Amino acid sequence: MEHEPAVSVFPLFDEHGRCIPSSGLAAAVHRKTRRYFSIVQPEISYGDIYARTRKFLGISGGMSAEAFEQRAEAILQNLRSDSATKGIADGVRIPFLLPKVAYADYGEALESTYLKAVHESFDDKLPQYGFINHHKDGLAGKLSIAPGSRHERLVDAMQQDQVVGYYFPCLSEYSVPAAIEQISSMPERFLLAGGFDTCAALIAAPDLLLRTDGYPPLLWLAALSGEKDQVGYHFESYGYNLTFNRRVHFNQVAEYWASGLVVLG
Amino acid sequence: MVTPELEIPPSMTPAEYSRREGLRARKPYLASKFDAIAAMEERGEISPIIRLEKSYLCNFECTHCSAEYYMDRHLKKVFKIKDTRRKMDLDDIRELSRQADELGLARFVITGGEPLVMKDFDAVVEAIDPEKHYVITDTNGWFLDSKRAKHLKDIGVEKVQLSWDSFIEEEHDAFRNKPGSYKRIMRAIDASLDAGLNLMFQTVLVKGRVKTQEFLDMCKFATDRHVGLYVSYAKPTGSCSDHPEFVIDKEEADILRELEKEYNVFTHMTPSYGSFKGCITVKGIITVTSSFEVTPCPYIDFSLGNLRETPLKEVLARGMRNPWLGPYRPDCLIGEDQKFIKIHTERTKGVTHLPVPWGQGFSDADSLCD
Repeated sequence: MEHEPAVSVFPLFDEHGRCIPSSGLAAAVHRKTRRYFSIVQPEISYGDIYARTRKFLGISGGMSAEAFEQRAEAILQNLRSDSATKGIADGVRIPFLLPKVAYADYGEALESTYLKAVHESFDDKLPQYGFINHHKDGLAGKLSIAPGSRHERLVDAMQQDQVVGYYFPCLSEYSVPAAIEQISSMPERFLLAGGFDTCAALIAAPDLLLRTDGYPPLLWLAALSGEKDQVGYHFESYGYNLTFNRRVHFNQVAEYWASGLVVLG
Repeated sequence: MVTPELEIPPSMTPAEYSRREGLRARKPYLASKFDAIAAMEERGEISPIIRLEKSYLCNFECTHCSAEYYMDRHLKKVFKIKDTRRKMDLDDIRELSRQADELGLARFVITGGEPLVMKDFDAVVEAIDPEKHYVITDTNGWFLDSKRAKHLKDIGVEKVQLSWDSFIEEEHDAFRNKPGSYKRIMRAIDASLDAGLNLMFQTVLVKGRVKTQEFLDMCKFATDRHVGLYVSYAKPTGSCSDHPEFVIDKEEADILRELEKEYNVFTHMTPSYGSFKGCITVKGIITVTSSFEVTPCPYIDFSLGNLRETPLKEVLARGMRNPWLGPYRPDCLIGEDQKFIKIHTERTKGVTHLPVPWGQGFSDADSLCD
């Protein structure tokens, strides 16, 4: 995937990789953070992530493990080469792989394929704990891509070929509307994370939200609109366990809430 | 005739559903208010339990008491003063009950002090109105014999929350500074269950306890008796201000979360009835002190307003727009967040009349980072 030339002057991310809220942001956001709810960078093994993702998402054929690593590393190199974006590469980051596929219904696919794969990957890596989907009412027909999120580009890319990307949970302390609004001022390479990419990151790193010495944030699937206004879906930890749930966010900001950015390669 | 099988909502456990349906048969208006809570939460409305501290009189002097600094005996002993602030009366409670009902709130906990030493306990229950609100009483169990338990049930009390600090008799009595209190707990358990009261144990988790056999034994006992064990983290407030070593850490909170899978044990952060509130300050609980101040949690001595000056609705709104309290956090603010604990300790230090008034503890200018 081609990227636009580096023309930004001001850094878009702080020294911890947090996306700095743009000055004109109208939706609710915390401009300062004490980083109370934070994620610890998990160990990244491209080979392990490649094997884990292929196993739990049932991917066969396509790119090699070496090609996956090269494409993922190229994403980081590209970001590091731009003074405006290099900060994000110092933050928490998870490479991911998604299959070549088209779905008729996002919610149905998320539930039947991706949440199931997250569950299996979590059980495989952390058998002593558990993944719980608290949302019992089903997702079929309930999810759509939020306008302005650019998430449709990821879905389009999946229809063309297997997708390699990096997930960055760097929109900490943004309301969901602020996360969407922020995208409009970001370079074109940045997409807001939705369901498939966030799940892929958790399949790659099931322990992403596992902390023993502090609390990680809740991760919104901010690029997805729910069945009602101000309804969103999210992952969060409960102790050492991983959970999926739905809640109404009321366009509010909370210290505990975060969303993710994605860059494809 | 075949009885149709009732469908349990996916958000409720069978036990939760059974309790709800039992209440519906006796108090349909109250059950309908509970039914409405999920829809209220979808609209961004909250439904906190109201803890009512009408009196701080108590027959115990517990090592970890969160209310000790509100008690007349403390003011007299430490500050040589008397609290002359106007105290809550029955008319105040009736008005609070009315405002709460109007907002769809459905639960009151009479606490203290020890509620069962209150001479006007029955009048307080009546003022709350047990047909409109689910009435719960905290107790140390000392006075809860069979006759008193039946009386509580008769006047409309639905639930007893029995404070119990150790499965080992000597430890409990020492913690409570009251020989014989453990035996009274045992009596109160049987009395409450025989009277048909919904019973819950509440115990305080001090650092290290979650890893002990004693605590596991209590969890097992509660589970075997089908009684919920509510675990409250020791907080660095009240009598515990002198015992910062009691405060647990994240590891212990997580051990407790794992125990929830096996035992009928829970904290204020445990999801229940399909509601995922995290820290329940304001969202799930408020405390009304004897001077009619509202605090967001039994252990946070900052007021959100006085109900004689500010309507309950606005007091709750203040809490929900405060960055420390709303809208959602997974940890215990006063039990785990060291920055908030420091602010709380500094602003309450030396204060004679708690809670610290609105504007001096919490305010609309609060920031997480300044």
